[in-house]
Amino acid sequence: MAQPENTSSMGFVSSVKNVFSFYFLLGRKARRTKVFYFISLIPLMIAAFAKFAELVLQTHHLEGIYIFSNIIVAFYLQFLVLILALFFGTSICSEELEGKTLTYLTTRPVPKAALLLGKYAAYTLLIILMMAAGVILSFLILNADGLTDPSRWRILFRYLGVLTLGLVCYTAFFTFIGTFLKRSILFGLIFSFGWENVIQYFPGSTQRFVIAHYIKSLLPSPTTGRFSFLLFQLEPTPPGRAVVVLLVLTAVFLALACLVFSKKEYILED
Amino acid sequence: MSAVISVEKLSKWYGNVLGLSDVTLDIEAGITGILGPNGAGKSTFLKLITGQIKSNIGTVRLQGETVWNNPSLFARIGFCPEQDAFFEELSGKCFLLHMLKLSGFSGEECERRAVRALETVDLTGAGGRVIRSYSRGMRQRIKIAQSIAHDPDVLIMDEPLNGLDPLGRRKIIRLIKEFKSEGRTVIVSSHVLPEIEAMTNQIVLIHQGKIFAQGDIHYIRDLIESHPHMISIKCSRPRLLAARFIEEKDVIDVRFHEDGEMIVETNDRDSFFGRLPSLLLKNDIDIHEISSPDDNLQAVFDYLIGS
Repeated sequence: MAQPENTSSMGFVSSVKNVFSFYFLLGRKARRTKVFYFISLIPLMIAAFAKFAELVLQTHHLEGIYIFSNIIVAFYLQFLVLILALFFGTSICSEELEGKTLTYLTTRPVPKAALLLGKYAAYTLLIILMMAAGVILSFLILNADGLTDPSRWRILFRYLGVLTLGLVCYTAFFTFIGTFLKRSILFGLIFSFGWENVIQYFPGSTQRFVIAHYIKSLLPSPTTGRFSFLLFQLEPTPPGRAVVVLLVLTAVFLALACLVFSKKEYILED
Repeated sequence: MSAVISVEKLSKWYGNVLGLSDVTLDIEAGITGILGPNGAGKSTFLKLITGQIKSNIGTVRLQGETVWNNPSLFARIGFCPEQDAFFEELSGKCFLLHMLKLSGFSGEECERRAVRALETVDLTGAGGRVIRSYSRGMRQRIKIAQSIAHDPDVLIMDEPLNGLDPLGRRKIIRLIKEFKSEGRTVIVSSHVLPEIEAMTNQIVLIHQGKIFAQGDIHYIRDLIESHPHMISIKCSRPRLLAARFIEEKDVIDVRFHEDGEMIVETNDRDSFFGRLPSLLLKNDIDIHEISSPDDNLQAVFDYLIGS
């Protein structure tokens, strides 16, 4: 009788890799990805419009890096990072339950923790690429006349790093929430635009209870412009410590998500 | 022969709803049919023995190992779920390739096995199409393909013949019998008695979450044969046909429903059906519909439990 020859030797890491490649493919094909990809390109339109206004209409001149910084703070940090992490993070568990496809995964010789981590890695990479495409293209459009300036590139990479860390941490949090809450999107919206958007402006140490505080602590300073009020009251944590906190939070959320996903019984409704 | 699957005092509730109650059962190699009307607890039983859900009380052991949270066991198990759910954006072949990859096979081996599984379920030509575009029967077949592609020792199938055409049904029944002839274990659930009968003699009857009977299917058949049989007929000249039926010894009763349906009760089903064609021809009667409500498993259960 034939037996699968590789399964006994298949380690945890190979399982994660196999799940990752499966969901990276599925994620790219999903309709939701196309919608969010389009949303993530909105800043590109803003950047193109600003450049057009500057070149053709000869409107008042604002430096490209200034507009770029404002787009990052107002659109990416306050909105897109949260929305992408929320919708992709919570769906890691819920889409398998709603689509009733969980059975195909849990009847394979793959630990449940590997399923969750593989899918988390695939979706996180997908949204990082989505975010990075918009950020890089906006940067190129807005700074077309200053691309030889290394300081601008340093700013771009700093922003990319900050946004990536934000996505990694928030997605881990929403993955965890999605493993045990049925209405995780609703909770996520309240958390993102309630808790995170309010507590970060509290003075003193209270603001350290939100993820956004550590992300904003990593922004290149000073961030000036129309949306600099979004950094109001920020008493930044030193960058090194902020990175460590974000990474520790990510690890804790993922460990909790794996624990819940492995132990919890999910009943697919008929 | 030692049991491949052994369950002891197994019970499962969904809140206040009873799914399965105090089931103790040993399943040996070969084909075992899990038979019961809709909502009897068949799917709950299969979900418990495949570790999809956790029992409230009792234990499940498959080849001596516990099932819940034991992923390594699934290298040896194939499961075909009842629900019509898929990763719709994938092609049938891509779906199989990834399921095989999750089972731990190398890329080359995945390709070979996916092609073979597609051939087995007659989907070679449609393997490149996205599952979203599949017909009901094709969806059922690709679901079966994913359950057999990794050559499991134990194949567990929840209503596998649903949505298949007669030819497809025959092929899957043949496939299941081949699995048995290779010394493997197949557990198949159905609410249709003839479907199970075509595959195996060994059945487990489930009703209202309990094992009602276990053993040879002929026992059930005998009970059915000794039980007056009801046949429903819709035809062009029901009153004439009823008059002819009444003349026969084995016909106990003939009744009419408002919609023109005629219910005939006979205690010799085989003679009745043997006689019917000549009776129709002789009296120039056209049959619109004929069915046998007693073949419905619920009717058998109602009879067995005396309701």
